[in-house]
Amino acid sequence: MEGLLQLLFNGLSVGAVYALFALGYTLVFSVLGVINFAHGAIFTLGAYFTYFLIGGTVGANGLMAGQQLPFSLPFWLALPLAGVGAAAVALGLERIAFRPLRERGSDPLLALITSLGAGVILVNLIQLLVGAESYSIPVGTLEALPVAISIAGAKVRTVQVLLLAIAGLLLVALSIWIDGSRSGKALQAVSEDPVTAQLLGINSGRMIQIAFGISGFLAGVAGGLVGLSVSIAGPYFGIGYGLKGLGVLVLGGLGSVPGAVLGGLIIGLAEACVPADLSGYKDAVAFGFLFLMLLIRPQGLLGRPLAEKV
Amino acid sequence: MPPTRPPSLPFPALAVGLAGACGVLLGCQASNRAPSGSPTLTLGAVVALTGNASLIGQDQRVGLELAASEFGGRAPALTLRLEDGGSDEQTATSAFRRLLQQPVVALIGPSLSQQAFAVDPIADRAGVPVLGASNTAMGVPEIGPFVSRISAPVSKVAPLSIQAAKRLNPKLERVAVFFAQDDAYSTSETKIFQKSIQGLGLKLVTVQRTSTADIDFHKPIADTLQTRPDLIVISALPNDGGNLVRQLREMGYTGLIAAGNGMNSPNIYSVCQRYCDGLLIAQAYSPEAQTAVNRRFVQLYQKRHQGTSPPQFTAQAYAALQVIHEALTRLDRQESLRQLSPNLVSKAQKLQIQPPKGQALARMPLPDLRRALNTVLLQGTYDTPLGEIRFTPEGEVIQKDFYVARVKMDAAGKTGRFALLPNPSPTLP
Repeated sequence: MEGLLQLLFNGLSVGAVYALFALGYTLVFSVLGVINFAHGAIFTLGAYFTYFLIGGTVGANGLMAGQQLPFSLPFWLALPLAGVGAAAVALGLERIAFRPLRERGSDPLLALITSLGAGVILVNLIQLLVGAESYSIPVGTLEALPVAISIAGAKVRTVQVLLLAIAGLLLVALSIWIDGSRSGKALQAVSEDPVTAQLLGINSGRMIQIAFGISGFLAGVAGGLVGLSVSIAGPYFGIGYGLKGLGVLVLGGLGSVPGAVLGGLIIGLAEACVPADLSGYKDAVAFGFLFLMLLIRPQGLLGRPLAEKV
Repeated sequence: MPPTRPPSLPFPALAVGLAGACGVLLGCQASNRAPSGSPTLTLGAVVALTGNASLIGQDQRVGLELAASEFGGRAPALTLRLEDGGSDEQTATSAFRRLLQQPVVALIGPSLSQQAFAVDPIADRAGVPVLGASNTAMGVPEIGPFVSRISAPVSKVAPLSIQAAKRLNPKLERVAVFFAQDDAYSTSETKIFQKSIQGLGLKLVTVQRTSTADIDFHKPIADTLQTRPDLIVISALPNDGGNLVRQLREMGYTGLIAAGNGMNSPNIYSVCQRYCDGLLIAQAYSPEAQTAVNRRFVQLYQKRHQGTSPPQFTAQAYAALQVIHEALTRLDRQESLRQLSPNLVSKAQKLQIQPPKGQALARMPLPDLRRALNTVLLQGTYDTPLGEIRFTPEGEVIQKDFYVARVKMDAAGKTGRFALLPNPSPTLP
């Protein structure tokens, strides 16, 4: 029982981050039909923003070596602000890498390539400015909370619980917004058919911007949370999560918000179930599982089969 | 065995003039010249400045830069060309190929054994000596005749931290092992660790395989803690290993932790922070060694790093450049003699005049220079910050002194030091 709880917590806390990550992909995919490959870089930026907002100093490498912000914020404030910063960058990305192609009616594949290029540039920019070294949010950042807690005998790091709680909260808030608000429904309409939505008076361009903004915010917060839990392993540390996020996106069903959540949790739990002897192969196990699922259900868990329009 | 610094031979002014004229006639002009007027040779170095191993590469860069400023200006003058080898084989291969297109006399690097197995054969085929400054996996010197290393192999160093743990806690019985299965050094080191654990009669309760790209270890830690280990032994790089240590402590593990050479860097402080405290790491270098060359190295390092003690990777990188410079110096003297007629040598000895250093090397065709350097390098004995070292004919380092350090973090958990365990400082054969 204790072992099962431990496994469940480990799987869910990792899965929640995957879900947050995949939701960003999903939102953009649902309105544009393309995967934003710069999403991993936005996630990385969120982690760096959080680190600097709580008063972190740039290391010995990079153009900004030794510098820090003139103020430091508590983590609770730094995390949403980092999300806002990441959202701003995501909006900039939409303006530079996506909109010009969309306005010219270019093939969506081109937007995929420009997003990939933008992601690479962002990562290299981070490296240029703050170096390639690893950064860590100080251990005592959550001073008021114990380092670990026991839940029915299972020892869990408080940061894991926090990660699960914040991710869960954001996922619920997003679902409520999408299904219960006027703008959320407008977003759904644009994802169904942007032209018809435009004819019905919905500003498709505006909704796309909102999708990018929320996607960036979620990635930024996810990056900050992961940075709190583990170290920020250099400018490339979003890449691994980006790959997992892609897997989750496909497993859950392209463009499906509940699918992204379910897919994230399943992949997280699948990794947690990998036996100790095979723990180094957990990625292969997770993606093998994804492969098998897709053989059985190609549209993903909650995706709709693609209907050929005639 | 040749002496470390053979006495220099005097030369007559006539010989100097003749040798200089010879150099011009033979068309062997150096591409650039040191302030003293001696030709400048190029030395390449490839270290991990980006990626998972960048925490190691940063230490190495400091060592190389300090050594270049200390020795590079002395004849034969050396210019250091430093390339980022990343933390993967592809980036290191590109860096090696870029340097091999230049007239480098030798190469130092790469940072990881995993990379060495991929890139050293390229340099070996090109006939360029490669001196590994941090490659400790088994089989590196055997890659080829031009490959050698200054970093003691894991088989010599790794068992010491297990022995030290046993001394610290004589009751310890149950040992858990973690290793990064995608890294040649880690897989090589863990075999030695596991053999050592069994050799001491300890019980290996679990072996957890991780990856150098991993940063989240909750699952393997939860599995490991159920086996109730008294000691956890880690073979990983600073970033993944540092995160593992932090998460082990945060999830309630209070026993001893011994880490391998991959985590032998103060750069782990920023990753595991206050939880680095107590970590046992075997050392191939002691900043406290009271030799003139080490005191000078420590002085240079402390001048640049506000009084902190230099780490092992920095000392090894410094020693690697020093060894190559000393081998070149020795070769220069040998060649100066060989290139002159016995009559001129005799006159030079009578007049007690020094030859222009570095000229003889500049006159050598590059392939011959590289081959001769490799031979001389392997035959020498060197007084370095690591102590006195020499090489086997295969290029394996022979080093006398090894140590075990225990990491002591400050109260804030921001910085620390590698405090050598007082008893005993093992000397291996």
